[in-house]
Amino acid sequence: MLLDLARSRRLLFVGGKGGVGKTSVSSALALAYARHGGRVLLVSTDPAHNLGQAWDQSLSDGATRVFTQENGHVDAVEIDPQATIERHFATVSATMMRLLPDRLHASAQQHLDQAKSAPGSHESAVLERIAELVETSRDSHDLVIFDTAPSGHTLRLLSLPEKLTTWTETLLASRDRSERFAAAARSVVGTKDDEPSADAELRRTLIARRDRFELLRGLVTDSLATSFIVVSIAERLPIAESIDVVQQLTVLGIDTSSIVVNRRSPSDAGDVLAERRAREEQHIARLRAAVGSIPLIQVPLLAGDLTGADSLSELAVCLTAAA
Amino acid sequence: MASAESAAQRWEELSRRWAAFRDGMHEFYVGPYRQMFLSEKRSEDDLFMIVVLGEALGVPDPAAFYSAELMPAVWDDFHAWHRRIGIPDSPLDHIACC
Repeated sequence: MLLDLARSRRLLFVGGKGGVGKTSVSSALALAYARHGGRVLLVSTDPAHNLGQAWDQSLSDGATRVFTQENGHVDAVEIDPQATIERHFATVSATMMRLLPDRLHASAQQHLDQAKSAPGSHESAVLERIAELVETSRDSHDLVIFDTAPSGHTLRLLSLPEKLTTWTETLLASRDRSERFAAAARSVVGTKDDEPSADAELRRTLIARRDRFELLRGLVTDSLATSFIVVSIAERLPIAESIDVVQQLTVLGIDTSSIVVNRRSPSDAGDVLAERRAREEQHIARLRAAVGSIPLIQVPLLAGDLTGADSLSELAVCLTAAA
Repeated sequence: MASAESAAQRWEELSRRWAAFRDGMHEFYVGPYRQMFLSEKRSEDDLFMIVVLGEALGVPDPAAFYSAELMPAVWDDFHAWHRRIGIPDSPLDHIACC
């Protein structure tokens, strides 16, 4: 079931409440698909990365090969928003220096440094890097799996493309109005109002932005290209949050393909765990009632630490065997 | 011959005056509209300036990451802008344009 999903999609987001095993599930799925010949890019968007721990390797903002088997492989990335912020502002700074007279360079630089640390820049940088990775992996990878930050962050992040498309449209409309007023004034009687060369550049920048946001929004809301896998454990709060996430994803137009219920207690390992299992059934019943037709994939509680490819295999087997 | 020439000159003089009169009338009636269009354009540009410089003016801008790339285009106009909206000195401590 999950393997078919991996084969047929371009992007998979793995999300859910903190501490339910998103990193293990996304890593195990990446591993399972790579063993079937898939070229997977596994990307952590959580600022508190633990993808490196899962694979027992140190990772960075660039891709690191963490697993290879014949044609299939897994490349892992831990997004570093600060690196993207630095790169982005270096580009802006270069443009400014090109357009502005020397005497303004120092002040312009100071102003940019302020914008750099603005709240929201961090989030934009994560989105920017996601868009970049989606674009650059188009030919080199069959699937991108995002191991995401806890629900709230991720839902906000996924709603950004739409908000920012609107933002750029608004600014472009403002430029259009300004241009039309100038043209109207010129047509009434030739005025000495020459076109600032910067305006064309401004427009180009805005249009490039808008196109990028729209592309990402289109891809993320295309259920044939992108699916969201919600990870949960069978306890009251994580189940309640999962139900909430599914509803919010529906509002965002994102397809939830399956829910992984992780760490099910065994029924044959003592009274405590058997009692837990019975309680879990009640929570799962509540989940089923709320999400209707979305398939649930149940994974038993595993003994291992789930670090390194060997122990991830065990989880990979559970994930792909479960109907 | 001479009279024909002076008649032509007079005609030319007359048509020049007429043209000047017509231009004057045109400006009298049309000028205010042009001013209106230009001041509308200016308002639009002032608004844009506030959006792009929001963060530096103390308005938290969630899109600062993206606004920053628009700064080069509005920077040139910054000094004229803050004078126009009635702030005599640069409102931004770090932008010393005055």
